[in-house]
Order: sequence, then structure tokens, then C-alpha cells
Amino acid sequence: MSETRPSFVRKYLALTKASMMESLAFRTSIFVTILGNLVYLIMIYFLWQAIYASSPTPIVNGMTFYDTMVYLVLAAAMFNFLECFIVWSLGRDFQSGQIVVSLTKPIDYQVFTFFAVLGQYIMAFLTTFLPTFIIVCLMTKGGVPLGINLIFLVISMVFSVIINFCVDFFVGVICFYTQSIWGINVMKEVVVALLSGAAIPLAFFPAVLRKIIRFLPFHAIYNTPLQILTDESLTLTNYLEMLINQVFWVVLMIGITRIFWNASKKFITVNGG
Amino acid sequence: MESVIKIEHINKEFKILKKREGLKGSIKDLFSRDYSTLKAVNDISMEIMPGEMVGYLGPNGAGKSTTIKMMTGILKPTSGKIIVNGKVPYTNRTQNAEDIGVVFGQRTQLWWALPVIESFNILKEIYRIDKKTYQDNLEYFDALIGAGELYQKTVRQMSLGQRTLCDILASFLHNPSVVFLDEPTIGLDVSMKSKIRELIRALNKEKGTTVILTTHDMGDVDALCSRIVIIDKGKMIYDNSIEKLRSFFGDYRTVKLKFNKKEEVMQTEALEKEAEDLQSFLKSQFKGAKSLSASVDDKWISVLLKEDEVHMMKVINCIQEKKKIRDMTLEEISTESVIKKIYEGDIQ
Repeated sequence: MSETRPSFVRKYLALTKASMMESLAFRTSIFVTILGNLVYLIMIYFLWQAIYASSPTPIVNGMTFYDTMVYLVLAAAMFNFLECFIVWSLGRDFQSGQIVVSLTKPIDYQVFTFFAVLGQYIMAFLTTFLPTFIIVCLMTKGGVPLGINLIFLVISMVFSVIINFCVDFFVGVICFYTQSIWGINVMKEVVVALLSGAAIPLAFFPAVLRKIIRFLPFHAIYNTPLQILTDESLTLTNYLEMLINQVFWVVLMIGITRIFWNASKKFITVNGG
Repeated sequence: MESVIKIEHINKEFKILKKREGLKGSIKDLFSRDYSTLKAVNDISMEIMPGEMVGYLGPNGAGKSTTIKMMTGILKPTSGKIIVNGKVPYTNRTQNAEDIGVVFGQRTQLWWALPVIESFNILKEIYRIDKKTYQDNLEYFDALIGAGELYQKTVRQMSLGQRTLCDILASFLHNPSVVFLDEPTIGLDVSMKSKIRELIRALNKEKGTTVILTTHDMGDVDALCSRIVIIDKGKMIYDNSIEKLRSFFGDYRTVKLKFNKKEEVMQTEALEKEAEDLQSFLKSQFKGAKSLSASVDDKWISVLLKEDEVHMMKVINCIQEKKKIRDMTLEEISTESVIKKIYEGDIQ
């Protein structure tokens, strides 16, 4: 081939760019997401107000009402940013046989899907997480520590995105076997929201459950970056430990999904076409 | 000349779950499963030369898509060997994919919410096409069918025909040596079909691209393919030129008849009855003619016969003696009826 042949990296970036443009083409959905987020925030505000009102002390499990709210608002923003409906799109592709089209391209399917949703992640980050984060910072007037932790936050979020993608990809492949998407996806959302600390801060969990959660990948998706962001008491070693823990999950989850995918591929490609 | 595609004795078997009947059976299926093997492709061999345009035909479920999936590297054959461009597609899927183009008629490879040109840009990066080739191809497509005015149009706003057109262009964008077109004209109107055929013919001729075309539309075959391969139930039953197939059936004639004026208002059942009567009458008259048959064809009664078994004029005379023929046309057998006869297993 000629020397002017574009580089390898560009094929992945092209996919990301395209999916960003696709997200922008659906403007209304961005507004609806923001609105839905707002309704959810109002709900958890009143819920947790009631929980704290019924408690004899203003501090529950080491967190004040104020801490809890900051944590949960950011968790909700993160949840909206990480939910890109990959399970749905993968499940549909597998069931309809549309996947064969992607498989005729000179690109690894898993890598292909990752970079194709990366654009959606980036758009969702800019439209939901970032605005919420800025509003929280302004409203709490310094309630969120802004310093070196932001650097670790960014690194940690990249790992979160990858682990979350692997979980979604894994569940998407399960959908092929179950022939249904809705139920599996709802279950995934509930399990992830609960066990990752996105719905309730992990500090509120009983000690036994917290131990079990440590052996699951979900806490590395939400709890780790949120802790890095909100917990002022963390030291540099704490940050590094948390990131290493995430790297462990990144490697493990990529490994597991690849094995599962390779084993399922031959069944999936038979259908349709 | 070296062949582009070489297939040697490939087989593909699928395990199929035998579902038990009823709710009880479904519950049983949860615990123990009973599989049967289906031979989707059974000992197929062929060799395709560069620049050839091959029609790959067969009834639904014959194993066409399975073969295409194996040639594109998506599926691995149970046994046998495939070489495409000197590579084994199913062990080097991504490498093989760089040099082939694929269009599945009912699916699109274009990005739904974006203008086509964006999809082309993405494909440019995915296939790592250099700038000059890319620009040249875009201009060439525009000169060929005026594709330029479609470039800025969003895919979801396109008609099916426009989308198929763009899908085909997309599959030729990286100058692949082989392009697989799986039912490209499905669901299109007559003028779009002919436009797409012209496009495929031009691309095949001017770029020298090998084209493997599967279709159920014999118009596609007549217009495009000089060689056809027919498979049925996974087995290859024909691989040769289309002329040879037609000359093989050249002795066949179709005589279409209308008898009396009442036929205009005649019910289909009555017509069918009449055709049946006619067939048994003719069979009794010409005992040796095995291919002789009569059927209803849109208000006409059509009689199919083979010249070397019985002379056409004799049959017409015989019918005329019995009934008054009001209207009559003669037809040579079309590719469509030839293929239909093969599918139905009338001829070996």
C-alpha cells in the first residue's frame, strides 16, 4: 500500500467521532436525560431527608445529610453518563443478525463497539456529568474538594468507563442466549446501581455485604471515582491503591468478556443473514 | 491465472436443538436437550477467477448465506478449505476483510443518523484508504450514477433504493478484489433495480472486481451473470454458464391458450379444472411425452412441452380439434422457469 495510508489509531478515532456526531443528531434525547436526572434528584432529596429526620443523630454511618446528598447527586450524574444502552444495542444486533455487517469489517468486534460507544460516553459526560458537577460545586461553595484529586478522578473515570463497558458487553452477550433484552437489562441496572454504591453510599451497607462487594467489579465503577472526588481524607497512597484496584478489575473484566465473547461468537453468527 | 476464491470440499454442520412439544416439553428442554445435526453445506467445491461475476443461486435455506459467511470469514467450515486472495478467511478474518466488500441486502453498513459522506469517511479510516484513492472513487461514483447529490443526505431519510445504492458504493470504496452482494435488489422497484444492475456491471467491468451475487431475482441473473452456481439443500447442483443452462432447456416451449370468451369472468378454480382436464387429455393422447403439462397462468392456460418428445404443432392441432382456440401465444422457456424447475427437482 502507499505511504499516505492513514494510521491504525485513526480508524478507532473515526468511530468515536461518528458516534459523537450521532449523539448530537438526537438533541431531544439529551434534554430528556437532563430532565429525567432532575426528577430523580428531587426524589432522592426528599427520601434521604426523611431518613435523616428519623435518625437520632445528624451523622449516619459517618456521613452527614450534606455529604450524602453531594455523593448521591454526583452518583446519579455518573449513572446517566455511564448508561449508554449498550446492552440494548448489542442485544438487538445479535438477535437481528445485524452483527454480521460489523464482522465483515477489518476490525476487532469488541474494540469496534468500544470505540463506537466511546463517543456517546464523551457526549454524555459533557452534557450530564460535567454540568451537574459544576452546579454541585457552585451550590456547596467548596463542599467538593478541588485539588490533586481531580487528576486521579479523570484517570479513575477512564477505568470506570472500561469496566462498565465490559459489564454491559457481557450482559449484552447473555441477552443473545436468553432471547430477551428488557428483563436482563433491568436486572443489570438494579444490580449495578445497588452493588456499585450508585443508589446508596457503600458506607450504609452492613459490614458483611461490604466485604462481598469488594470481590465484585461494580464498586470500581461508581464508588471508587466518587470516593476520590468527595473524600478529603485520602492520601496519595490511598489514591494509588484505589487506582491499582481498578486496573485489576479492568484487566480481569476485559479477559472475562473476551473469553465469553469468543465462546459465544460461533453461535451468534449462525443466526440471521 | 490464479483464482481469487478457491473452495475445496467444504462442509458446514449445525447443531439444532430439537424442541419438545407443549409446556411440559418446554420445561423438559430446560434440563435435558436433544440435538440433531443439520448439514447446511455439503461438500461444495468451486474456483472463481479474477473479474468473474458469479450468480450464486438456490432456494431459501439452501445454504447460500452460510457459504458467503464462510467466505467472508464470519463462520468456520466444519471441514474443507477456503482460500480467498491467498488467505484463509476464517483464521484471518480481519486481514481478509481488508480486501473484500460485503453488502447484505436487508442490512445497512451506513450510520443511520448521519449523512452518507460521514459513513464513507469512517470507512475510509476503517479500511485505511489513502486520500487520493478515496477522492478518486467519490468522483468516479458521482460520474457513474450521479451519486454526488446523495453524499450530503442523511441515511435514514433515504429511500430503500438510494440506501442500497450507497451501500453498494460503500462496499467498493476501498477497491476490494472481491465483493459479495447478498440479495442487493431485494424490495426495489423496477427502475431502481436496473440502475443497480448497471452500477454493478460498470464496477465489475471497469475496476475488474470479482462479484459474487446471490439473488432470487432472475432479472439480476440475466442482466449480470455469465456463470451461475446453483445449490440446493447444501449440495451443488449446477456450476456452468447461463447459456448452457438455457440451451439445455432450449427444447422447452410454452404455449399459452385462451378458449372461449366466458373465460374473462371464469373463476380460477374453474380454470384450474379446465387445465387439469386438458393435461389428462393431452397425456392420454401423447403417451411418451413426460414433460407435457398444463397449468393456469393469469387467465391463460399454459401448456409446457418438450420439442423432442412431442412436436408443438401436433399438440396445438390436437387441442384445436377438441376446442376452439380464441387466443394463443408462444414462449421460449425463461431463466426463471428453468431455475424453478431445478428448485422443484423436476430435472436432474
